[in-house]
Amino acid sequence: MMQRRQFIMLGLGAGVSLSLGVTLYPLLQSTDKSRADAATLVLDALLPALLHGALPSSATEQQAALRRSRDAVLQFLPYLPRSQQAQLQQLFLLLQQRLGQLALTGHWLSLNELPISARLQLLSSWRDSYLATLQQAYHGLRELLYGAYYGQPLHWPALKYQPLEFNPYV
Amino acid sequence: MYDPIADGLSRGWRHIDASTLRTDQEFDTDVVIIGTGAGGGIAAELLTQAGFKVLMLEHGALYSSRDFRQQERWAYPELYQDGAGRKTLDQAISILQGRTVGGSTTVNWTTSIRTPKPALEYWQQEFGLDFAQTNALEPFLDLATGRLNISEWLLTPNHNNGMLQRGCHALGWQYTVIHRNVKGCANTGYCGMGCPLNAKQSMLVTTIPAALDGGATLISRVSARELVWRGNAVQELWAVPVDAQFQTDPRVKIRIRARHYVLAGGAINSPALLLRSKVPDPSGRLGKHTYLHPSVISGALFPQAIHGHQGAPQSIYSDQFVWPADGRIGYKLEVPPLHPVLMASKLTGVAEAHADLMRQFNQLQVVIALLRDGYHPEAQGGTVQLDSYGEPQLDYPLTDYLWDGVQRAYLSMAELQFAAGASAVLPIHNDARMYQRWPQAKAAIAQLPMQRYRATLASAHVMGGCNMSADAATGVVDPQGQHQQLRNLTICDGSILPSSLGANPQLTIYALSWRICTDLIKKLSV
Repeated sequence: MMQRRQFIMLGLGAGVSLSLGVTLYPLLQSTDKSRADAATLVLDALLPALLHGALPSSATEQQAALRRSRDAVLQFLPYLPRSQQAQLQQLFLLLQQRLGQLALTGHWLSLNELPISARLQLLSSWRDSYLATLQQAYHGLRELLYGAYYGQPLHWPALKYQPLEFNPYV
Repeated sequence: MYDPIADGLSRGWRHIDASTLRTDQEFDTDVVIIGTGAGGGIAAELLTQAGFKVLMLEHGALYSSRDFRQQERWAYPELYQDGAGRKTLDQAISILQGRTVGGSTTVNWTTSIRTPKPALEYWQQEFGLDFAQTNALEPFLDLATGRLNISEWLLTPNHNNGMLQRGCHALGWQYTVIHRNVKGCANTGYCGMGCPLNAKQSMLVTTIPAALDGGATLISRVSARELVWRGNAVQELWAVPVDAQFQTDPRVKIRIRARHYVLAGGAINSPALLLRSKVPDPSGRLGKHTYLHPSVISGALFPQAIHGHQGAPQSIYSDQFVWPADGRIGYKLEVPPLHPVLMASKLTGVAEAHADLMRQFNQLQVVIALLRDGYHPEAQGGTVQLDSYGEPQLDYPLTDYLWDGVQRAYLSMAELQFAAGASAVLPIHNDARMYQRWPQAKAAIAQLPMQRYRATLASAHVMGGCNMSADAATGVVDPQGQHQQLRNLTICDGSILPSSLGANPQLTIYALSWRICTDLIKKLSV
């Protein structure tokens, strides 16, 4: 029997108009601020899940590392092609709206109210989805978020990565 | 340390950063060169030395050794196309391409390989290009080799390359010590972020300074948008500045009139400009047959430290499997440099599993297998198309023929890594796990689903889309790089290759550009 989440995703997939499998409506209605807020909310919810096991143990350092990574993603996004930016903004907006959230996560709870394990399950379900758009979302976000975290020299001690530095960059 | 760019600018080089322009501009020149990578850089030096007034255009910024930061978080957004986030249309393959003055030569890993004979023979047979028969390319390969100080890398390979060598040796597989375009290289390992020592003999520190010294003008941070043409000739070129994140800014218009137009924007951007310009395409091949050397990745953990970020990134390759006799797709074995962002984004898994792997960063060794696409009906490459912003997207179909190569490549790489002494091997595939022994890996790889998004694929070599051919019916340009329909348009970059090479392309592009521009100079001098 088809599970509820599969059913919802099938409905979502049937109505695709963008490569992320969604309608343009939320993006067209959005403002710069609402787009930035949506991105922040989603990144703040997904970063602790993806980085579970990598983050420093001290709560203060953990928060600082998460903030640094989120800011690095937000600073990087404008370098992506405009079409990719639009796709990501669309995903962020949907994930913060109740209906889109339900469709993408199978939960009514907002993303940051889900326990870490549920957020990881959500990412796994995207990775293993039969919808190409959700697989793209998984891989795209994963690359973006890991790139942002591991690009920060403050996160390198765990790797024992010791780069040379001819021209300091802070 | 001597900085040839800072020195040249202080001596009065003609350089315009288009992002600083506030009013529309017009330029008249003999030759405008669109793109400053391997093809455009060679063209700029030769045409300037021949006495022509040359204008170079580059979408990226003019940076020099003093700007280069040995950190991926600076290098990728500032030096790479789309912040190193370029992907195929379905996002199944990541594409690394330079986008800065010097193009990919500023950020490549310096591997310099002469055009393989089987590629030349294939071009002869399929496209009537007689480069192999008449020895038409060899002298230009020699000229580029001399100009860019290309020579065999004599230092001991770093451990990442050393394990590739050791595995080949143990299995009796062919391997070659790589030739590199470096002078005074300190073996640091940061080629991919721009050489901080000006040791890499990229276009940035060789041909472009020579052209600027000779009186050429460079406009950086500019995007060529449309060639306006009538009949059989290009009339003018329209361009716009780009903003701080390299996005086009249409508020200022730049109009360029030239006697001749040289297109060298690379194998995705060159076809895109021609598609935006709606140039004649009777062969139907414009933007078609774009090849990637789709690359498969295999990680391994070694008991000893590998430190894959230190030392020349590439110094060994193996051609054991690149030209198989059975008609199946071949693949070349190489290694990439290992830096945190590149590794973290490519390694599979999430949360603890990913963090555990990253903590073993210095024990990690990675092999890549570059699939030699373009020699078979089921490996005809991708198609460049334009999105709603007028920017290129590459639709690259992954066929069963290619997947067969992906699977065999995983097997070869795992076998090699175990033979080199790996304690575990992790094929970079979403359904693979860490395998401790070769028989276990062999059995598991045979069961892995060969599907997009399950296998992680990447590319650093983009070729084709404006292919050369002796017959106008099967090519966009003729063997001299001359556009088949527009008499004052020459193309000299990776886009003119009629197939992939089965080898890293920079030296072939240098030589072809040298050959094409030698002919062009004769033609323009009449």
